[in-house]
Amino acid sequence: MKNIKQLYSFIFVSIVLAIAYLFFSTAQIQQILNENVESIFIKEAKSFAQNINNNIKTVIKEDPYRELKENQALQKKMEHALSIIINDTFKYIFVLYRDSNGNYRYLLDGSKEDKARFNQRLSVDKKLWSSVYDTKVPLIINQKELDNLWITYLKPVVLNNKTVAIIAIDFSTQLPQSISNAIEPLNKIFIYIFIAIGVLIVILIYQSIRSIKIKKESITDPLTQAYNRNYLRDLLSNIDITKYQIMMLDIDHFKQVNDNYGHKAGDYILASSAKIMQNEIRDEDILIRFGGEEFLIFIKKSSVNSYLAYNIAQRIRKKIEESRFSYEDKELQITISVGVSCQPEHFKTVSLAIKYADEMLYKAKREGRNQVISQSTNDTTLLKKTNTKSINDVKEALEEQRVVCFFQAIYNAESLTVVKYEALVRIKEKDGSITSPADFLESITYTNVYNDLTKSVLESVFTQIKEKKIQISTNLNFSDILDNKIFDLIIHELELHKELSSWLIIELLEYELIEEITIVQSRLLRIKEYGVKIAIDDFGSGYSNYSIFKLLPIDILKIDGSLIKDIDMSETSYKITHSIILLAKELGITTVAEFVHSKEVLETVKMLHIDEVQGFYLAKPSPNIL
Amino acid sequence: MKKIILLLLLVPLLFASDIKTEQKIYGLIIHALLPQKTEIRVWTDSQSPTNIFCLIKDVRCVNNPENADFLLLSKKKNIQTKGIKFATNIQLLEAEKDTIVGGFFWEKGRPNILFLRKNLQKHNITLPKSMQEYIEDEL
Repeated sequence: MKNIKQLYSFIFVSIVLAIAYLFFSTAQIQQILNENVESIFIKEAKSFAQNINNNIKTVIKEDPYRELKENQALQKKMEHALSIIINDTFKYIFVLYRDSNGNYRYLLDGSKEDKARFNQRLSVDKKLWSSVYDTKVPLIINQKELDNLWITYLKPVVLNNKTVAIIAIDFSTQLPQSISNAIEPLNKIFIYIFIAIGVLIVILIYQSIRSIKIKKESITDPLTQAYNRNYLRDLLSNIDITKYQIMMLDIDHFKQVNDNYGHKAGDYILASSAKIMQNEIRDEDILIRFGGEEFLIFIKKSSVNSYLAYNIAQRIRKKIEESRFSYEDKELQITISVGVSCQPEHFKTVSLAIKYADEMLYKAKREGRNQVISQSTNDTTLLKKTNTKSINDVKEALEEQRVVCFFQAIYNAESLTVVKYEALVRIKEKDGSITSPADFLESITYTNVYNDLTKSVLESVFTQIKEKKIQISTNLNFSDILDNKIFDLIIHELELHKELSSWLIIELLEYELIEEITIVQSRLLRIKEYGVKIAIDDFGSGYSNYSIFKLLPIDILKIDGSLIKDIDMSETSYKITHSIILLAKELGITTVAEFVHSKEVLETVKMLHIDEVQGFYLAKPSPNIL
Repeated sequence: MKKIILLLLLVPLLFASDIKTEQKIYGLIIHALLPQKTEIRVWTDSQSPTNIFCLIKDVRCVNNPENADFLLLSKKKNIQTKGIKFATNIQLLEAEKDTIVGGFFWEKGRPNILFLRKNLQKHNITLPKSMQEYIEDEL
């Protein structure tokens, strides 16, 4: 459709240019014809003047005034000769001399009617005539300012190196006028065509403006003047996401504004907030009302500031927090929460990047509202890190089989014998150094590279299980279980290693109770059909929720390191851990204490009858299982 | 001054038709011949140029030649008047050269002005310097 429009535009412009070219060519032809006609007549006039000059020189010896005055027969004879040349084109042929006062007077006049007397004065342009007289150089005078004349050709008569007279030939022709008359209808047609094109252009401009206005209305939210979801739909199919960062903004407690002050107040808050957002972003950024009180902003990336969207989000948040919204006689104060995705190009689709920003937004909401959480700030260390791997680094590492698993032993608390291992993914750098997952997982989340990495880890784990015949756990996120591709990949790997599956333990992180918990539940049950055990990692921190025991088929509970590391010192940590262990035992769930970093910690958890222990005091992660 | 007059004569020529040119030239001539008059009464025997004069500043066209200060003649006429006679063609000027002060006519497509010295003297007329170049002692 766009190409057809371009084709129409091209054809239209081509036609206009062709007509313009034709118009100017016609004008040029007319000019050339006129010039040619002029040059033909000038040539003829020159020839006549030369003949007259020759004739005068043969009969006049020295002083034409005196000689012609004394010899009237000669005068008549010569005037007769001049009159022969006169016709409709060469109207006046006469010879003048300059008297002592500088006035020009007749010597000869070839006119048949209104013939001037000998020595009669004629008013001429003295300046031009005198220049011919003085310079002895012929001159062509264009007499367009006079209605009756066209061109005057002046030729000096020089005797004894002295100008004694000037031969003047006035000529005009209707030929240029005839040419002009012949071309006139064509010129009129051109004028009509240009008028028609002008009208057409005006109509097109009017229609285009109208069309733009209608289109703008269809993609603009009338309340906030931000773009609406219609625009977003088009944008998603065209946007080059590598050039943008994404932020999702939501007005905190907006429902309360509507409930307490009415919908009009709510509308006012929405419009005012959108105005602040619009003022704080640049022209190249895109503000979209995502729905309700939610806004989406695409921030054009800056080459110097990787966290531009985060900075702008903070600016908007602060500005809105500081603003006082006066509606009728009430003064309202609002705040916003913002989720930012600084590296949306790491996602497979723009929609996923938006979803991620949305997740960050909900995180901001859950963590108290009136704050900005970005892809980077959410990972509390990422902002400070300089060695974060890019997606290409991880891809390259996978291709070069530099993605490896380290294994950390987990011991039976009583016997202190190794009962299983936890597989921990690492990238082996080209220089031999080891990069931990915190430096590369963030950049590959939701990408195909993450899927490839998961596959690689599972294969590596199964290789070790096959070789060592020992239980090995591997870490996955809840979102991995929900991701169809990753889930299919897990099932595919379990099918491939059916006989080894019972040695596999899947440790789940980020176990917040999500809406799709039933899907997670059914998928975990499906995984468990292969004999796989399910462990919950880092229990006792973050989103720990006891209802998880009711909803998910849990075999192992790994108590979070933040409780274990100071369990020998903190009474609270001790009591919490104790209660978790008691509960787990009641539910028949194996307990594991992570972060056992000292003898004192080990002794304390043993006292609490923990089943298994893991930590640097006992064993550090190693590339090989001993 | 000559240049100014020339300019006055030529510049309008660039933009105006011959009739308008004539009108301007007649205006200059009439005011040069009768500088002391605040209103100049003009009579002409030709119908066509009447309107030309009527539009000149400080000029009023009259029907009776005897009341005219300035008479513009194209034909020989026996008119007893103290007014200044002026010819519109060279033939009349030649024929009435004893009484006619001057003439303005088109010769070879060019506007020509001519004043006869002895007749100017008869009327005690001193032309401005810009017009003096058009004075002829005799025809």
